[in-house]
Amino acid sequence: MTATTAESGFFVALNQGRWAYLRFAAYVGAMVGIAAMAMFGVGAYEENAFLYQILSMKGVIWGGTGALAGCGLAVIASTLKPTLQDAKSARNFVPWLDGFVLMVALASIWALFEPAQAAISYDDQSNLFAGRVIMAMNVIFIFSSVSYIAYLFAPDSFIGRIATWSAYSGVFLGGSALLLRWHESYLFDLEIGHAPVSNLYEVFILLFCITAAVYLALEKRYQAKAMGAFVMTLVSAGVFFGIWLDSVGQADIKPLVPALQSYWMKIHVPMNFVGYGSFAVACGAGMAYLCRYWLESNGGKSKMLAIFPSLDQLDQLAYKAVAIGFPAFTLATILGAAWAAEAWGGYWSWDPKETWALIVWLIYGSYLHARVSHGWHGKALAWWAVAGFLVTVFCFLGVNMYLSGLHSYGQLS
Amino acid sequence: MPRMQSFPELLKYVWQRLGSMSLAIILLVVLAIASVIGTVLLQNQDQADYLQQFGPLWYWVFRSLGLFDMYHTWWFLTILGFLMLSVSACLWRNVPKMLKEMRARKPTLSEKALKNFKYTKRWQLPASTDIAPLQASFEKRLQGWEFRPADEGGRHYIRADKGRWHKWGYILVHSAILVVLIGGWMGAQYGFRGNMAVPEGKSEKEISFLQGTETGHLVMPFQVRCNSFFIDFYPTGAPKEFRSNLTIIDDGKEVLTSDIIVNEPLYYKGVRIYQASFGDGGSDITFKMFHMDGSEAITTATSQVYKTWKDPASGIELKITDFKPYNVENMANPGEAKNFQDLGPAVEYEMRGPGLKPVKIKAFMNPFIDGDGNNQGSFMMISLTGDAADFKPVALGLDLSNPVEWKLFHAFMRHLVAATSGGKQTKEANLAAFKAAMNDVFGEGNRPEGFQAMAMRTLQAVNMLPQLPWPLLPMLGDFKLHYYTGLQLALDPGMNVVWVGSALLVLGLCIMFYMPHRKLWLIIQAQDDGMAVTLAGMANRNHLVFDKDFHDLFTKLDDDFAKLSS
Ligand code: HEM
Repeated sequence: MTATTAESGFFVALNQGRWAYLRFAAYVGAMVGIAAMAMFGVGAYEENAFLYQILSMKGVIWGGTGALAGCGLAVIASTLKPTLQDAKSARNFVPWLDGFVLMVALASIWALFEPAQAAISYDDQSNLFAGRVIMAMNVIFIFSSVSYIAYLFAPDSFIGRIATWSAYSGVFLGGSALLLRWHESYLFDLEIGHAPVSNLYEVFILLFCITAAVYLALEKRYQAKAMGAFVMTLVSAGVFFGIWLDSVGQADIKPLVPALQSYWMKIHVPMNFVGYGSFAVACGAGMAYLCRYWLESNGGKSKMLAIFPSLDQLDQLAYKAVAIGFPAFTLATILGAAWAAEAWGGYWSWDPKETWALIVWLIYGSYLHARVSHGWHGKALAWWAVAGFLVTVFCFLGVNMYLSGLHSYGQLS
Repeated sequence: MPRMQSFPELLKYVWQRLGSMSLAIILLVVLAIASVIGTVLLQNQDQADYLQQFGPLWYWVFRSLGLFDMYHTWWFLTILGFLMLSVSACLWRNVPKMLKEMRARKPTLSEKALKNFKYTKRWQLPASTDIAPLQASFEKRLQGWEFRPADEGGRHYIRADKGRWHKWGYILVHSAILVVLIGGWMGAQYGFRGNMAVPEGKSEKEISFLQGTETGHLVMPFQVRCNSFFIDFYPTGAPKEFRSNLTIIDDGKEVLTSDIIVNEPLYYKGVRIYQASFGDGGSDITFKMFHMDGSEAITTATSQVYKTWKDPASGIELKITDFKPYNVENMANPGEAKNFQDLGPAVEYEMRGPGLKPVKIKAFMNPFIDGDGNNQGSFMMISLTGDAADFKPVALGLDLSNPVEWKLFHAFMRHLVAATSGGKQTKEANLAAFKAAMNDVFGEGNRPEGFQAMAMRTLQAVNMLPQLPWPLLPMLGDFKLHYYTGLQLALDPGMNVVWVGSALLVLGLCIMFYMPHRKLWLIIQAQDDGMAVTLAGMANRNHLVFDKDFHDLFTKLDDDFAKLSS
């Protein structure tokens, strides 16, 4: 026990105060450096080689300079105003960014397992390694949701820990698999290469990882483990859909149509999925609320009640998730509008996907207002969070399946 | 609704309702539901399509509700107008209050107010404790907070605030909605957006756009000439890049020449010019006409895409609808790994003539070479319904790009008729006829390379070609490609307003969600038997975190105070 406390003490120190603050500044600086390279560097942004631009010496120089500059600025700023070092944003963001670095490291390890160049063919992509990592992610996510459900019935801390750790592993597997896919897309032909956010299959994996990550962040801070059964079940449902997509041949890496060859895509799409993922977590919280409500009204003797957060906490958790998702989704929609302004000649075309994004936004906007106004109580809001996610799912999938429009990249064919 | 005494009171009542939260919720939901309609019902389509889809009655109903161009109907715009009015009303009502509240930070608290606090903690310290160190430790534990002390009624208050600009979030978000809507209105009112198709080498001045089931036109203040258009392909055959080289001609002068690609528009006089699509801009087509009357004749005919070619002799009419230099198709059987192959140039036309059923045809220039390198002969796609979805491949047997095969076919037919007149086709008869035909065409005993395959093709052609009802078989002989580039031109004077509004919106949301206003009080009061210290707190958002932070603060202060008073 003492060993683990010492260890976690060390990690806690790393993730707090000065170290977190400096690291945060370095990460932000590196990102600004890379963005600057894309905008002002020699050769600037090239769709066909962006990953390698980042990984090349040039990327290291731009990114590294950015990181150093970020640290320098941070040191100056904190001598002027010492309280900056305790800034919450640094503490909250640093673990995510660390996680991302870890994913990059994992992806580079996976890259060693790629088949020889001669064995790589565009027509048959089944021997690529990312597919295997994704399969492992699928299994682990399903395992995690089963463990979370088991935890509801047998609230044993061991089962709970397994559930959490498998969810973490799933996130890292999925994230690193996507990065690896980015690399793989270049293996066929440099011209085909592009960031792994261009088709339904890829964004699905992104969605699982973001949903699980948002949930895990909430779990860590608010000890809301019982909610995991609901969130991870949603993720598992998605996993089955992803497996189906793979089975009908939709998992292949394909070259980008001209409309998608834009750096906007790399910002717009992931940002959108931060929104979707958070809404999924809000839906999970809503379902947990309704479940607890039902348990309570059935006499309230169920043993499960002991591990559920209180109704009030669940209500707050749903709100918290929407509070992450709503600004992200707003920003994503605006970025999409900016892209449309550049690619299609107008920031808003009332295209079905756009319109449904607006509908989703309005639904969550009204959810937020309903919370503030009197007369709406926890149960109705929990239903609202669940219904809102159904609308989100329609926006994400239904529009591609049933309605035609400009966003046909996600078409199920 | 309360009884109204006078008109001003009615106005005031309406104004209050307008700024109410329940109306805001209703408006947002109504707007969401209304938006759904326009995504389910395809907007701005052809009148004929709608009529066919809904029948005359529903067509009329939908049309009178404006559902075919729904987002511009008076009723949809009215909802948006109401939203603006409602947001203005609630800003009007709330902003002065909020500004005042943000400025005034009253340090004191009444006993009654204190009772309503969700978070309170109390200490009972010895009378000898000093106030100053208590205050110092409170301030030390709350780094980055703003403090304001006061004494009143024998009590010492210290108020601490964090995020006291929180309400600016509300103000920014709601003003941003107004700004965005105003920007959108400016664009709709003073801007335009439409398409023009410019064939290579030609110029164009007018854009067209859809309004409901009608098409509107607008003349631009300059001309656009398309100098050339290119497509670049991926190794898989999928298009990689569309690029147009354009020249802007203003007042008769060439002012600007530039390339545009998708995602990189051109900007001139406030108008953005986008690469939107492309198509055939009237390519020159040369047909090879194979006469099916047994005369063995091959003639040529020239025309252009979008024109109709007429044969006075047979009355045949070819309406040429499209030409494509590349036709990449997946040639794999279902279940096999994909195999994309470029089938080469093809022309699409509609053929009609006296006594013929009109059909749509896509005729290819080259024969089909299968995966093993075998020449499978020329082929075309035929759609009996005239719908491109119903195209069925038809193998013609002969490689018509090789005139010798056409000759061989006729020779074979003649010998076959002679050999089997009245009787049945047998293998031997076929073989004998084919040998004779070979001798006719190539000379006694001479055999060209690959003649076995030629025999197979000819045999297939014998079964196939006589089934075709047309007097002519028009195949693609030659072509000269001219593209048109499809441009979209847009002017939007409200766009920058929208971006400003969007930035305000995001900024406001971040303040609103991530900078909650937290207030803490330390209230110190000397009593007979000691000193009563109260810690009270409230937050207007994010209670989960505040709950934890409040307890953390309490335990820390508890330590400090214990040390101070011992
Ligand atoms: C598209 C339109 C609107 C958007 C996007 C929007 C957005 C928001 C958001 C995000 C919140 C914060 C809720 C929270 O903190 O949980 C909020 C609060 C609020 N909204 Fe709106 N709103 C809109 C329209 C309106 C309208 C029409 C009204 C009034 C009639 C209104 C009145 C309010 C009020 C009173 C609050 C509570 C402010 C507070 O106490 O902090 N909003 N709004």
